[in-house]
Amino acid sequence: MFNDLFFRLRSLFRHDTVESETDAELRFHFDQQVEKHMKSGLTREEALRKTRIDFGGHEQLKEEIREAHGVNLIETLFQDIRYGLRILGRTPVISCVAVLSLALGIGANTAIFSLIDTVMLRMLPVQEPKELVQVRIRDPRSPNDEPEPTFTNPLWEELRNRQDFFSGIFAWSLTQFDLSQGGAVHDVNGMFASGEYFSTLGIRPAAGRLITAADDKRGCPGVAVLSYGFWQDHFGGAQNAVGSTLSLDNHIFNVIGVSAPGFFGLEVGNKFDVAIPVCAAEIFDGPKSRMDRRSWWWLNVAGRSKPGMTPEQLMARLGVVSPLVFAAALPQDWEVKDQQYFLKRSFQPIPAATGTSYLRRQFTQPLHILMGVVGLVLVIACANIASLMLARASARHKEIAVRKALGASRARLIRQLLTECVLLSTAGALLGILFARWGSTLLVRYISTGDNKVFLDLSFDWRILCFTAGAAIFTGILFGVLPAFRSTRVSLTSAMKGSQAVDTESRAKFCPGKWIVASQVALSLVLLVASGLFLRSLVKLVTMDVGFDRNSVLIVRANLHNAKVPAEQQPPMFDEIENRLRTLPGVVSASRSVMTPVSNYVWNSDLEVDTPNAPTGDAALAFFNFISPGYLGTVRTPLLAGRNFNDGDTQTAPRVAVVNETLARRFFPNGDALGKYFRVHADPGKPEPPIQIVGLAKDAKYESLREEAHATAYFPIAQVTEPVEEQVFELRTAMRPSALVPAVQESVAGVSKAVPLDFGTLAEQVDDSLVQERLLATLSTFFGTLALLLAMIGLYGALSYLVAQRQREFGIRMALGAPRDSILRLVMRDVIIVLAGGLAAGACLALVTVGVLQKMLFGLAPHDTFTFISAIGVLSAVAIVAGYLPARRAMRVDPMVALRYE
Amino acid sequence: MAQKRIELPQGTLDLLILRTLALEPQHGWAISERIHQISSDVLLIQQGSLYPALHRLERRGWIKAKWGTSENNRRAKYYELTKTGRKQLELEKDSWKKLAAAVAQILETA
Repeated sequence: MFNDLFFRLRSLFRHDTVESETDAELRFHFDQQVEKHMKSGLTREEALRKTRIDFGGHEQLKEEIREAHGVNLIETLFQDIRYGLRILGRTPVISCVAVLSLALGIGANTAIFSLIDTVMLRMLPVQEPKELVQVRIRDPRSPNDEPEPTFTNPLWEELRNRQDFFSGIFAWSLTQFDLSQGGAVHDVNGMFASGEYFSTLGIRPAAGRLITAADDKRGCPGVAVLSYGFWQDHFGGAQNAVGSTLSLDNHIFNVIGVSAPGFFGLEVGNKFDVAIPVCAAEIFDGPKSRMDRRSWWWLNVAGRSKPGMTPEQLMARLGVVSPLVFAAALPQDWEVKDQQYFLKRSFQPIPAATGTSYLRRQFTQPLHILMGVVGLVLVIACANIASLMLARASARHKEIAVRKALGASRARLIRQLLTECVLLSTAGALLGILFARWGSTLLVRYISTGDNKVFLDLSFDWRILCFTAGAAIFTGILFGVLPAFRSTRVSLTSAMKGSQAVDTESRAKFCPGKWIVASQVALSLVLLVASGLFLRSLVKLVTMDVGFDRNSVLIVRANLHNAKVPAEQQPPMFDEIENRLRTLPGVVSASRSVMTPVSNYVWNSDLEVDTPNAPTGDAALAFFNFISPGYLGTVRTPLLAGRNFNDGDTQTAPRVAVVNETLARRFFPNGDALGKYFRVHADPGKPEPPIQIVGLAKDAKYESLREEAHATAYFPIAQVTEPVEEQVFELRTAMRPSALVPAVQESVAGVSKAVPLDFGTLAEQVDDSLVQERLLATLSTFFGTLALLLAMIGLYGALSYLVAQRQREFGIRMALGAPRDSILRLVMRDVIIVLAGGLAAGACLALVTVGVLQKMLFGLAPHDTFTFISAIGVLSAVAIVAGYLPARRAMRVDPMVALRYE
Repeated sequence: MAQKRIELPQGTLDLLILRTLALEPQHGWAISERIHQISSDVLLIQQGSLYPALHRLERRGWIKAKWGTSENNRRAKYYELTKTGRKQLELEKDSWKKLAAAVAQILETA
C-alpha cells in the first residue's frame, strides 16, 4: 500500500524526472535492439528501420506507461485544464459570451433555488430542529383543510398545563409594535413569546438574559428581548442597550437582553425585532384583555417532542388530551351548535423542523413555475454553447486529426474537449453565484409589500452550493458531449489530405446544428407562451373595473387606542380629524371608514331577510364596511339608486345601509331591495335591530381583485356596532398623494400630538395585492425575452456557420448561372424548415405543459389562442430577421472569390 | 524471419517477468530477450506490453528498479524481485500450474 502511494506521488510530483527516466529506459532498449539487428548482419539503416517498425508509436508507448503509473488521470487533467484555458483564451469574445450566458442561466437557477431552499427546505437554526412539532387544530367541519395554526390564550394555557408528552412547549404570536410616541408610525416586528420559547428552542442570549417562565406570569411588568439584528441596527450593538427602555405602542418596556445572532424566529419570511412575554398583552389591551378571551385567536403553539416518541404516539397522546382542553376553553357565548363543533376539534402535530411560513402557501407554486422557466433558459443557453462548440470543433478538425495520428486515444481527446466545456461552465457558475446573490436579494425585495416586509436569511448553505456545482457539471456535459463525440470521429486520411469535401457531404445528411436550433425555438416558444399568459392575466387584473378609483387617494390610518384616548372621546376626535383633513389645501374630498378595499382585512357576518327562499349558508354571508358620508364619493364607487348617508344618520337615528348590486340581487331577487329591511345574524340573547336599505352602490372589489364580487353592505360610521379604535381616512388629492403627508401630520397634531399615523396610497395597496402575479409576469417576461435572444443568437450563429461551410457550393451555383435570390431562397428555406419544426414542437409542448399554470391565471384559459398566436408571431418575426442576415451574406458571395478560396 | 507469435493470456506476462527476474536483476531489453530465447523463439514480448507491465509491477511493489551499468557500459534501469514479489511468484506459479493441468486434462479427455 505504502509503496503504491509513494510510487504514484513520485510520478505526480517528480513528473519531469520520471518522464526523462522513461525516455532513457526506452532509448536504451531501442539501442540494444538496433545493436542486436546489426550483429545479425543488417546495415545500420536497415537495423534502425526494422527496430522502429517493431517499436511502433513511441508516444503511444509512453502514454501506456504513464497509465501504468496510476496517476495519469490527475496528470492529464492538469494538462487538459492548462491547454483548455489556452484554447479558450484564443477566442476571448466567444468565450466571454459563453461564460456570460451560462452565468445568467446558472445565476437565475441558483437565485430561484436559493429562495426555494430558504422558504421550503432549510432547517431552523435551533437545537435539534427535527424534534420540533407545531400543534394545530383540526375542525370537524372541514377535515380536509389544512389544520388551523392559531390558538386562543385559554386554549394555550389549558394545553400547556395538561400535557406531559412534550419535553418543552411554547407559544408565540407575531405582531407589529409602533416605536413612535405619536406622529408618523415607526413599526417594528414584534413577537409575543411564552416563557418557554427561548429555552425550548435552545437559543442563548448574546447579551443580558432572555424571557423565562418567571417573566411570563399574569400581571407581568413590561420586559423586552431584542433580536441581534435589531440590537445592531437600532442600538449600534451598545452594551448599555440592556437596561434601557423601549416604547411599544406607547407603553414602556425594559430591555432585558439580546438573543443570539442568526435566529430570526420560527416563521420563515418574517423576523422579530422585539420579543415580549405573552402576558404583556394585558398591558396593551387593558382589563378585557385577550388573555381571557375565548374567541380571540392569536397564538401559535409548538413543542419539542421527547426523544424516542414516534409521531403516532404523539398523535395518540394529543388525541387523549384534546377533548379535555377544548372543554376547558369553551367559549361560553357561542351558539350551542357551534359549541358542539368546538368540542369536537382536535390537536394535530405537524413537523416543524423547517419552521412555518405563509410564504409557502403563497409562493410554492410560483417558485416551482419560475424554477421550470429558468431551467428552460439554462437549457437554451447550453444549446447555444453546444452549437458554438460544434462550430469551433470543426474549425479544430485538423488539430484533432493530428493529435489522433500522433497517438492520442479518442477517449483522451473527448476528455480534453469535455474539460474545456467544464472549464466554461465552472467559470459560468462562479460568476453565476454572484448574479444569484444579487438576484435573490432583488427577488425578496420584490415580493415584499408596503406593510409586509419579507425577511429571508439568504446565506448560502451546502444545499445551494451543491445545486450550483451540479448545475455547472450538468450544463458542461450537456453542451459538451455531442460536440466532443462528433468532432473526434474524424477520418484521418481525409483530414490529412486537407480537404473537407467528404466531410461536408456527410454533414448535409445530419446536421446537429439545425436540431439544436429547432429545439431552442421550441423551448423559447414555451417560455414566450407562459410569459404571454402571465402578462395578459396581469393586464386584465390591472385594467379591469374594480368599482373604485385607486389613483390619487392617500390612506391615513390613525390609532386612538395607542394614543391612549378614552373610548368615549374617540368618535368626536375622529370626526374632528376628518373635518380638518377635508379643508386641507390640495384635498379634493376626504372621508373615513373602518375598511379600505383590498386591504387584507375583512368584517363579515350572515344576514337574515324576511323573504321566502332567503339565502342560507355561505350565500348568506355579507361583507361590511362602516363609512362616513364622503366615502363613496372619495373612492368613486358610484351610487346607483337611493341616497347616500348624511349627518342625520347618527348613532341614535334608525339603522340604515347602502348595499351593493350583488347583495341586492342575492337577497332581493325581484329587484326591489331599496327600502327593504334586513338583520345581521344575532348571537343568542343579543337581538339585532332591523336595518333599512336606503341606497344601492355599484359592485366594488372587497378582499382581492380576483374575487367574484362579494355581497357588501355599507353602514354609517356613526352607527358602528362596536368601538373601532383604529380608523382610516381616505383623501382624494389634486396632487401626488404622498406630497400631502406633512400637511396631514401637522393637521392631526393640531388635534392631538399623541396619535400615531400610518400612511399609504390606495394604488399601492392594490398593487401589493398583485405581488404574486406581478412577480410571475415580470420574471417570465424577462426570462422569455432572454430565451428569445439566446435562441436568435443560436440561429444566427448556426446559419452563419452553415453559410460559411457552403460558400464554395454557392459560388459554384452562381458561377453556373443561379440568380442571387435563388441562393437567398435556398438559405431561407433552411430557416423556415427549422423554424416551422421548432414552432410545431414548441406549440405541442406548450399545449401539454401550460395546464399547470391554470391556477395562476386570471380571466383567460391556459390555451388562450391570442397568446399562442402572438408568441408564434413574435418568434417567427425575430427568427426570420436573425436568419436573413446570414442569408444575405450568402447571396453576396462573389463566385470568383469563393472558388479561388479552395 | 517468420515468427509464430502467441498471444499471451491476461496476467501471464507478469508471471514470466517475475520468473525471469527470479534468477538475477535485469533490464527491460534483457528480460524480453531472455523470454524470447527460453521460449525457443515462440514468445515475443512487445515493448508496448513489457514496459507498462514493468512499471505496474513496480507500483505494486513486487519488483524494484535501480539504475546500473549494462554490459556495454551504458546506464540502464535494472529491475529486481522484492520479497513480496518472490512470494507473489510462488503463488502465481502454483495457480498457473493448476490452470495448465486442468486445461490439459480437459483437452485430452473431452
